[in-house]
Amino acid sequence: MVRKTFFALLLAILLVTLDTYTQWFESPRRQLSEITIPLQLISNLTSRIKGWVVLNTTSRTELERKNASLEKERLILLGKLQRSAELAAENLRLRQLLNASELFTDSVLVTEVIGVSPNPLNHHVTVDRGADDGVYIGQPVLDAEGLMGQITHVYDDYSTVLLITDLNHALPVQVLRNGLRSIVEGISDYNEMRLRYVSPTVDIAEGDQLVSSGLGGRFPVGYPVGTVASISQNPGEKFMDIKVVPSAKIDRSRHLLLVFTLQDGDQSRDVGE
Amino acid sequence: MSVNKNNSLQPLLIMLLGAVVLQLIPVSGEWLFWKPNFLFLVMVAWMLYFPDQYGIEFSVAVGICADLLFGSTLGYHVFIFAICGLILMFLQRLVVYLQVIHRVILVFTLVLLVEFMRAAIYALLDKPLFLESILSLAIISSLCWIPLDKVVSSLYLSHK
Repeated sequence: MVRKTFFALLLAILLVTLDTYTQWFESPRRQLSEITIPLQLISNLTSRIKGWVVLNTTSRTELERKNASLEKERLILLGKLQRSAELAAENLRLRQLLNASELFTDSVLVTEVIGVSPNPLNHHVTVDRGADDGVYIGQPVLDAEGLMGQITHVYDDYSTVLLITDLNHALPVQVLRNGLRSIVEGISDYNEMRLRYVSPTVDIAEGDQLVSSGLGGRFPVGYPVGTVASISQNPGEKFMDIKVVPSAKIDRSRHLLLVFTLQDGDQSRDVGE
Repeated sequence: MSVNKNNSLQPLLIMLLGAVVLQLIPVSGEWLFWKPNFLFLVMVAWMLYFPDQYGIEFSVAVGICADLLFGSTLGYHVFIFAICGLILMFLQRLVVYLQVIHRVILVFTLVLLVEFMRAAIYALLDKPLFLESILSLAIISSLCWIPLDKVVSSLYLSHK
């Protein structure tokens, strides 16, 4: 028995080494994730049933009240959109005056989360759009509040999204107030990220809004990423410890937006919804 | 493969499938840290009641399944599950004849051990540690163990 355990532990160490330093298990992992999709759909049934029950038990009066409230909200947003269109046109004129490259409008595709990684340290979700819908690796994903992550694996009918709070995710950002550039990294916490390599002498304050800077070419410029929650300086450290709260509801959003950047050439398409 | 094993294979597969489905049920934020490892609980149950059929090899197989399901480095759960399997094999004869509460205490201790091993590995790999949820996770896992124990012990008695 002890001998068997010894061999099992040796096997475990061998597997860890091979998985860390080679790509041998990538293909079986992909195949397995395809197998687990029906199981994820079954697991997701609970939230679907809950939604169905809520929908069918809501009274007509309540639905009418909700509808009226949404109609008001829509009018306010349309008003804001008019102002936004005016600002976009003004921005374009100013950029043309400066001979800067033209900013392109992105189109989006609505998608739904059908699975969440069971490992609390791996921040991945599975969405119900795949290669058939034109989804591609590296595509930015948003929710209604801000940037959620990027596509890492694409299958025919679904894709995997690596969330910005994942330990292995880093994203170039800039402070909206003054354009200060930095990198925000995930720490496997849905409610917190870290801003890296910010020197104590720079102008940054709690409450500053961070948006994607567009550097690296992966994420389009200007999407909300988070807000600076706290700044501290540890004695002897070269950089400040800055905590950022993500703008997106990383662990709660169910409907997401896949962004198709019109600069993406072949991958671009007009799918605005 | 013995007759007993054939008889117990179907409920085992159903339980493993159920554990995978339960594991995949989406929960938000901090709740994920409180979610028991259902695959681990099923492994403990079967190794405790059917040690002759489900030994260390079984813990290795479940460990591989867990690694693939959780997306962790392959071998990581194998390592932890194999150590727990060895402990279970040593304690099996003693615990299986005791009351449910003793097995609940065993599961509580094993979950704590698993989490401390996980924390030790994460500390070595310089990954973030979430130690504050360990106790609640062990309590929830112990509570989940009770119905599982009832089912597997009834299967054990019917096979006996």
